[in-house]
Amino acid sequence: MIETGIPKLDDFLGGGVPKGKSLVYYIQPGVEGEVFGMQTIFNTLKCNGTGVFIVSSTSPDTTRGQFKEFGWDIDMFKDRLFFVDAYNPLIGAPSNEKYVVLNPDNIENFNKVITDVIKELPPSTIVFGSLSTIMDLCGEKETIEAVKNWNKLAILYNHIIVYNFTAWPYSQETLDLLKKEMFNAVISIGGIAERVLFGQYFGILKSDWAKETKKSMLFRVLRPGGIKLFIPKILVTGPFDAGKSTFVHALSTRAISVDRLGTTIALDHGHVEYKGFSADVFGTPSQERFDPIIKLISGESMGIFLVVDSTNPTDFVRAKQMLEITKSYGLPFVVVANKQDLPGAMTPEDIKMQFNLPNDVPIVPASAKDKKGVFEAFEVLINKITGGI
Amino acid sequence: MPHVIDMVDKILADLKKVGGVEACAAATRDGLLIRALMQQEQFAESFAAMSATMLGAAETATSELGKGIPNRVIVESDHGRLIAVGAGPKALLMVLVNSNTGLGLILLELEKSAAKLKEIMI
Ligand SMILES: Nc1nc2c(ncn2[C@@H]2O[C@H](COP(=O)(O)OP(=O)(O)O)[C@@H](O)[C@H]2O)c(=O)[nH]1
Ligand SMILES: [Mg+2]
Repeated sequence: MIETGIPKLDDFLGGGVPKGKSLVYYIQPGVEGEVFGMQTIFNTLKCNGTGVFIVSSTSPDTTRGQFKEFGWDIDMFKDRLFFVDAYNPLIGAPSNEKYVVLNPDNIENFNKVITDVIKELPPSTIVFGSLSTIMDLCGEKETIEAVKNWNKLAILYNHIIVYNFTAWPYSQETLDLLKKEMFNAVISIGGIAERVLFGQYFGILKSDWAKETKKSMLFRVLRPGGIKLFIPKILVTGPFDAGKSTFVHALSTRAISVDRLGTTIALDHGHVEYKGFSADVFGTPSQERFDPIIKLISGESMGIFLVVDSTNPTDFVRAKQMLEITKSYGLPFVVVANKQDLPGAMTPEDIKMQFNLPNDVPIVPASAKDKKGVFEAFEVLINKITGGI
Repeated sequence: MPHVIDMVDKILADLKKVGGVEACAAATRDGLLIRALMQQEQFAESFAAMSATMLGAAETATSELGKGIPNRVIVESDHGRLIAVGAGPKALLMVLVNSNTGLGLILLELEKSAAKLKEIMI
């Protein structure tokens, strides 16, 4: 097993990547995914392994600089890190690397160099900096055939072979092959649908050696630092007595509230772990005198639960106002129609009408007191935030 | 029999006389203003709510850490100090103090006032 060094990913993969296996980082365009391959190779070097980096979209020296930006001192491992230069020849520049693909737009030439690498070097972590670039230069079909061959050779010579692949609009057939057939493992790397800047996630689409996992994690890329997980913040707001604090506690594995005389005067805070997804939830106070606190708490949240008391439509005005205070317009939000257990509770449809909400706002019936509907609401919101992981 | 509000007024008036005290107020634990003696009256209500938030959050923080309930919260800025103390389960008391007076006497008086407020709020 070789660890990728990417937090949580090794856990998801049952410890790492076994020798002989191939893995693709399947990257949605616009997402910072190349770092996955880099972090993987650096971790191999750190663990005394040998690494091969095939560069196609930047020169080896530029790539060395990128490693440094992440704070990864590759000079220490000079004798165990090999670059395959498939870039300099493309721009007509000379190359100082041991392995050079003289005609990077010729798959035969590529094939020869990679085959040499696979046969000559001890069991290594071989990382393709950009498979999509090779595909653009050499053609989809041609590249696919070559990759299949490399993956087989990797088994014979006990390498681990890793590809960064940016899923530009290639033919559906190509994308399907990549996602479903060609590799032992597929890690999908995507961006949050609504606000790309907000977050990126990775998750396992496929892995033929680890138990099926549907887990995904949000991450940020730090320079220095590389891939760091982060726990998204989710806000729970809504009018007085709607059941926000009760909701936070029902959802959380652990939670605290700063309540006095039956009302929240500072905040509720809870931590949620559900189906492999974690989040920190923050509940706000509700009375107007706490509006400054509500504003303070709501910064940087990625999604909102708007909890309303389904028996109390007079509160809906305040509920909308609270959306404004929390500046949450434009953020994904879910209305939690709470207290459904009470007689006279309005249905989600009635609430949508009364509230005058756009059609696409999900309203989830719940009874937070009995922990009913809370995880349904959580799932709906997470799907809205991630665009369905 | 004097009204509770009158009693609160008396407590605040006494407190205000202590050297260095610029303003003082009493609030319920859930942040509703009971009474304030301050020049900028328009801020009294949010002053009450925010003080309740501060004290409540501080109490939760220290008690979560197993360190018990704090005796008071003191906030210092270049222009003065704000002190909030609990006055029983229902009320709290806060004072604004200028930046150049020692706190010794003030804390002592605040303690006494809080004890009185606690009694009359029960
Ligand atoms: N019947 C019923 N009562 C609820 C429900 N959720 C919360 N409550 C009650 O509503 C009151 C206010 O709840 P709380 O969570 O403090 O509301 P918050 O002010 O929005 O934080 C409490 O008495 C709760 O027990 C529910 O689903 N059904
Ligand atoms: Mg609450």
